[in-house]
Amino acid sequence: MQNFISWKRLGLGAIATFSLACGKGREGAAQNDRITIAMIAKSSSNPVFLAARTGAEAAAKAMSDSAKVPVEVVWLTPPQEDGQVQAQRIAQAVNDGADAILISCSDASKVTGAINDAVARGVAVMTFDSDAPQSQRFAYFGVDDIQTGRSTMAELATLMGGKGKVAILAGNQNAPNLQRRVQGAREEAAKYPGIQVVGTFNHIETPQDAAAGVVRVNNAYPDIGGWAMIGGWPLFTQTLLTDLDPKRIKVVAVDALPAELAYVDKGIAPVLLAQPVYDWGYVGVKTIVDKLHFKKDVPTIIPMELLRVTRESLGTWARKLRDWGFTDVPEAYLKRQ
Amino acid sequence: MRGALRKLLGAQETGLIVVVVLVAVLLTSLAGSHADRRSGELVNNFWNSYTLIQTATDASFFAIMAIGAAVVIISGGIDLSVGSIYALSGVSMALVLRSMGQIGDGATALLGLVTCAGVGVLCGLVNGALVVGLRVHPFIITLGTMWILRGIAFVATKAESILVPPSLTAVTKASLGLPGGLYPVPMLCMLLITTIGTIYLTRTVMGRHIFAFGGNLEASRYAGLPLNRIQIGVFAVSGLTAGIAAFLGASFYGSTSSGDAQGYELYVIASAVVGGASLLGGRGSALGATLGALLIVLIRQSIRTLHFDQNYEWIVIGCAIIVAVVIDQWSTRLTAHRLRAAAEPARATTPST
Repeated sequence: MQNFISWKRLGLGAIATFSLACGKGREGAAQNDRITIAMIAKSSSNPVFLAARTGAEAAAKAMSDSAKVPVEVVWLTPPQEDGQVQAQRIAQAVNDGADAILISCSDASKVTGAINDAVARGVAVMTFDSDAPQSQRFAYFGVDDIQTGRSTMAELATLMGGKGKVAILAGNQNAPNLQRRVQGAREEAAKYPGIQVVGTFNHIETPQDAAAGVVRVNNAYPDIGGWAMIGGWPLFTQTLLTDLDPKRIKVVAVDALPAELAYVDKGIAPVLLAQPVYDWGYVGVKTIVDKLHFKKDVPTIIPMELLRVTRESLGTWARKLRDWGFTDVPEAYLKRQ
Repeated sequence: MRGALRKLLGAQETGLIVVVVLVAVLLTSLAGSHADRRSGELVNNFWNSYTLIQTATDASFFAIMAIGAAVVIISGGIDLSVGSIYALSGVSMALVLRSMGQIGDGATALLGLVTCAGVGVLCGLVNGALVVGLRVHPFIITLGTMWILRGIAFVATKAESILVPPSLTAVTKASLGLPGGLYPVPMLCMLLITTIGTIYLTRTVMGRHIFAFGGNLEASRYAGLPLNRIQIGVFAVSGLTAGIAAFLGASFYGSTSSGDAQGYELYVIASAVVGGASLLGGRGSALGATLGALLIVLIRQSIRTLHFDQNYEWIVIGCAIIVAVVIDQWSTRLTAHRLRAAAEPARATTPST
C-alpha cells in the first residue's frame, strides 16, 4: 500500500508539473521577429566544420546589423557522420520553428526526403560542401568535386615532372563527394602517360587511421613518388613529417588547416589546395538572409574556388586561419610575410 | 482489482514509464515555444504533434532492434551484429528490388519486407548456428559477423547508396489521415512489434524457455529443454527485428547503403539494458527495451530542444545510461525489500504443520 501511495504521489506530481509546463508553453514568446538558421554539418568532430560554424556565427552577427533583424545560428551537427541522424535533425529543426537550414550532406540520398519535407513545410534549405542535387534545396555552395580531384592530381603531376608512381588517398568510401574527387583525380592522371596510379586507398577518416594507411601503402609500394590526398586527414598528425622523405615523395592534399602547415614548410607537401571553409558558414548564412529577408534572387550553384597554399603564402594563410577562429596556428607562421 | 494494480505498480517497466513521462514533462516545461509557420499560433517546441511523432519515429528503429537484442540478452547472450544485419538487409532489399524492375506497389512492399526479414533471419540463424556449433561465446561470434556482414554489404553495393522505390517510401511515410508532414507508420510498427514481443516472451512456451535458459542454464538442461534450438532461435529473432527495422529505415529515408547503422548496436544494447534486461540473463522485457530506446532518444532530443551544446551529447547519453541502470537496480532492490518485509508478517502468522 505504501508503495502504491508513493507511485500515486509521483503520478500526481508529474501531472501537476505537466500542466504547468503546458501553461508555460502557451505563454512563451513568439520568435517571428528573428531569422533562425539551423546549421547541420557532417560531423562536429571535424575541425573544418567548426571553422564553418565560426563563419556562420560571424555572418549572423553582420547580417543582424545590416538587416536590422536578429539572425541566430543553431548548431545541430551530429557528433559523427550519419545521414540518417542528419535527416532526423532536419525534421527536428523544422519542428523547432527554424526559418532555414544550412546543411552539408553526409549521404545525399538519405537526406533528400527530409529536405523536401522541410521545404514543403515552408523552410528554406541550402546545402554547402556536399550537395543533395536531387532535393528541393534552393542553393548549393561548395567546390566542384571532380575539378578538385583534377586539380590535386595536376599539381602532383607537375611537381613530379609528369612521371612516376602515385597513390590516391580517398577517405571514406561511402562519401559521394570524395568518390567524385577520386574520379577527377583518376581522369586527370590518365592525361599524363608517365604517371601510374598504383591504387586508391580508403580509410577511416581519423588522422591516425589515415597516417597508418599511408605508411602501410608506402611499405607495400616502396617506389611510390607521390600522394594525391583528396582530403588532408593524415597531415593532421605529425608522424609523416619524419616518415616521408621530401626528396623522394611529394604530397598534394586538399585542405590546409593549421596542423598541415608544417608539411608545406618542410617541403613534403609543397602545395595544399585549401577550401575556404569559413566561407561555408559565412556565405551560407549571408545567402539565406539575402533570400529570406532581402528577397534577392540567388544562384542555385554558388561555386567555391580553391586557394593554393605554398611556402610563399604560408604567412598570409596562417593569419587568415587565425582570423577564422583557429586557435592552434603556429606562431612561427603568423609572423611570416 | 487491487492485486492487479499492485502488480502494475510493482512492474519493472512502471518506473521507466514514470522516468520517460518526467523527462517529457521537463522538456515541455523548458522547451519554450515558437509561432507555427502556417497558423501563426504559438506551439510548444517539444509538446507538439510533429516533434512527438518525430521522436517516436527516431526511437522506433532502435526500439524494434532493441526488442530482438533484449531476447538475446534474456537468454544470457549478446548480439553485436545487429547494425550490420540492418545494413545487409537494407542493401539486399534495394538490390533485389532494383533487379526486379517495375512491379506493383503492393508487390514491391511485400517483396521488400520479405527480403529484409528473410536476410535478417538468415543472418541470425548463421549467428546462432556458429555459437552452438563452434561453442564460442556469442560476443566473439557476433563481433566477427559484425565485420563480415558489413563487408558483404560493402562489396555487394560497391559503397554506393542505393535508392529504394518511391512506393516503399509512400508506405512508411503514409499519413494515415493525419495532417501533412506527420508520419506515424514507424511508431505504429514499433508498438505492434512491442506487443508481439511481449506476447512472445510472456505467453508462449518458447518465451518461457528463453527466460529459463538465461536464468539457469543447468536447470534448463536437467529439465530437458532444447537448448541448441533455443539459442539459435533467439539469434533468429534478433536478426528478424534488425531486418524489419532495416525495411522501415530504408523505406522511410528512401535509400540504403553499406554504411547504415554503424555503431547502432551499442545504442540497441543500451536500450535493452536501460529497459531492464540483465546482461547475466533471465531478466528483461520487450516493453522495457522499447521504453529504453524511447528514453535514450528523448535524452538526445533534450540536448537539441534545450539548446545545449551538441558536443556534450555523448557525455550526457553515457551518464544517463549509467544513472538509469543504477536507478533501475536500486528500485528493483527496494521493491524486493518491501515484498520481503510484507511477506514476513504473513509468514509469522501462518501456522506450522
